[in-house]
Amino acid sequence: MTSKQPPRIATWMLEHFGSGPNNDAVLGDLAEQYRQKDSAMWYWRQAMKAIPVSLFKEIRGHKRIAASALLTGWGMWIVYVTWIFPLLTPFFFGGNFGVAIEPRAPIGTAWSVLWAPVLVQAGLARPFSFVFGVALPLIVWTMCGWLVARFHRNQQTAVVLLFAGSVLLMDLLLFGPFILTVKPAVAYLFVGPLAAHVAASILGILLGGGLLRHHSRTVSN
Amino acid sequence: MRKGDYLGNFDLMLLLALLRLGEDAYGVTIARELEEQTGREVVVASVYATLERLQERGLVTSSLSDPTPERGGRAKRYFRITGAGIREVRDARRSLMNLWKGLPELKGEKA
Repeated sequence: MTSKQPPRIATWMLEHFGSGPNNDAVLGDLAEQYRQKDSAMWYWRQAMKAIPVSLFKEIRGHKRIAASALLTGWGMWIVYVTWIFPLLTPFFFGGNFGVAIEPRAPIGTAWSVLWAPVLVQAGLARPFSFVFGVALPLIVWTMCGWLVARFHRNQQTAVVLLFAGSVLLMDLLLFGPFILTVKPAVAYLFVGPLAAHVAASILGILLGGGLLRHHSRTVSN
Repeated sequence: MRKGDYLGNFDLMLLLALLRLGEDAYGVTIARELEEQTGREVVVASVYATLERLQERGLVTSSLSDPTPERGGRAKRYFRITGAGIREVRDARRSLMNLWKGLPELKGEKA
């Protein structure tokens, strides 16, 4: 019998991002079959399909919990940008600057709410502050992820991934209109800071949601 | 009939695989059985997602074995079809056979 280990990164991803009560059994089945098939490609294919399959199964089976998780995470971020964020700006820019909420301009409002720490700096023509644009949002998104996980423990992996996915989707959906609205030369200036901000948001949610922690192997009936 | 009462194609295939495998039905053997009979690659996670749903409907039951080293210290989850599951399979077969009867020939084969 061979002692070949399945691809580590694929296993790590499935261990951390696979959801549902049967994730351990799936990992065991893949490990067992890998010893017979000896195909890293097959293992990767199975592991990468298992993550969305288990995620959709969990979300479909717990729609109310999923909705509650999205409300919790987004609610926390909106509280930050509307209440806490204006209190922090004087320390960095010498004045109170809040997000621009304009019901008649939903896309502009969404830009402002989601990317306030980056856009405020650009609007003030200040050099990009890493602490304000990345480090603080990382802490806040970590708290958002922690709250989502804390209040939805039974579906923790699925709801944290759903929330992170919703943030990434919003970022991607808003980036297209943003590029089209501002001049390409100006948009170019935002790409780096926005990419850092988006990376901080996803990393923060996964960290706070506990998905990047070492998993102890648990077996439940 | 309520929504969700009909067995889907994959549901039926899984229940038939459980019947064929008897006591040895777990993820690996079920996936292998389906691959051998259909000639298509099966996503192991889809097998579990569907079996979980069938379990919620009371058509299958499951139990865990002890963890084994060749599975990276992970347990096998064994599945068994229940009496209600067998009745569903019988109903599905009857319905399909009724629908099949009287069909015109398909691509040169007898229907």
